[in-house]
Amino acid sequence: MNTGTHYAPVRCRVADCDAFALTGADTCWTHLQDRDAWRMKLADLDLNAAWLAGVDLSGRDLSGWDLRSARLSGACLRGANLNGADLRDTFLDGADLAGATFEEANLEFAILGGADASGASFRGANLQRANLVGTRAHGADFSGANLYYARPGNADLEGAIFHNATIQRTIFRHANLKDADLSGVEGSANFENANLEGVAR
Amino acid sequence: MIFRRFLLDVNESNTFLVACEQTREALLVDLGSWTPDIPAFLHGNALRLTTVFITHDHYDHTDGLRAAIEDNDARVYSGKGCVGGLPGTRVGHGDTITVGSLTGSVVATPGHTPEGVSLVLPGMVFTGDALFAGSVGGTSSGGNAIRQLEGIREHVFNLPDHYEVHPGHGPSSTVAIERRFNPFFN
Repeated sequence: MNTGTHYAPVRCRVADCDAFALTGADTCWTHLQDRDAWRMKLADLDLNAAWLAGVDLSGRDLSGWDLRSARLSGACLRGANLNGADLRDTFLDGADLAGATFEEANLEFAILGGADASGASFRGANLQRANLVGTRAHGADFSGANLYYARPGNADLEGAIFHNATIQRTIFRHANLKDADLSGVEGSANFENANLEGVAR
Repeated sequence: MIFRRFLLDVNESNTFLVACEQTREALLVDLGSWTPDIPAFLHGNALRLTTVFITHDHYDHTDGLRAAIEDNDARVYSGKGCVGGLPGTRVGHGDTITVGSLTGSVVATPGHTPEGVSLVLPGMVFTGDALFAGSVGGTSSGGNAIRQLEGIREHVFNLPDHYEVHPGHGPSSTVAIERRFNPFFN
């Protein structure tokens, strides 16, 4: 799998603002005047490698969207529906993903480091080679997901469900897996210095 | 800037392509194999490979070099003069590499290998096997391990939070994620 990115972010037009303008706008999220209008036209834009840092798309239906290589750093996607979305190489670092659903989504090489995905559902998702470093995902559901070579180092995965997930070469170094459900997992993972208290296997 | 990752079939290695949209000149960072995807992408996007930057002299980062040079008139830069058994230009900390309108800065990140170098471009840094998402490269001694951590702290973690970190294996990251959560630094 190889995805492409064309990086061409431009600065927000507001003087003295260091942030980049959103795709489909000439300002950053902070300075965007009509956010509803921008959200309305989003579905018609080419969002492959789009700049969407800091946006609020909480509760939105983004199922099946092509967001490959998009920059959603710090975005609020709380409760959003991203089932079946193409999120390969997408930056979701520091994003609020609490309660969002990513069922059957493609998150290969996605960057979720430092995001809060508590209560999110990744059932059946492709998380191969995903960056989950420092991700907080209390009670998140990874049932049937493929986490081959994923990197959840230092992640807080307390109570997360990995039932029947593939964890071959997954690196859980220093992760908190307290009370996590690892029943039926396939593959051999690295649990160096991980907290495995109360883990169900 | 044109950017693309190639996942190679050798040891889960990454090769990255960065190109100038104006001049169509392209740079490759590490080249563990000359997988057909790479020349196909160059050709398909009317890009000309002018530069190869090798972060360190290990086979899974250099084995595609010979074929790439045979097919293209590209300059090779690394922390060693000779890399992958082929001649190249030695670069060190503070040197710059230009590809079209893009200028990269070389920073020293030794430890995994003595001559390990990383390349900083606008908004991103290519770290080879010095820094991975949530990990660092293996070293042969405690002294090299300390040297590697110091090099990363001084020359990578000093970059802005949003800078992307593109390692030689595994997923990409950001400076903010690694500075805050990488277990080897916390």
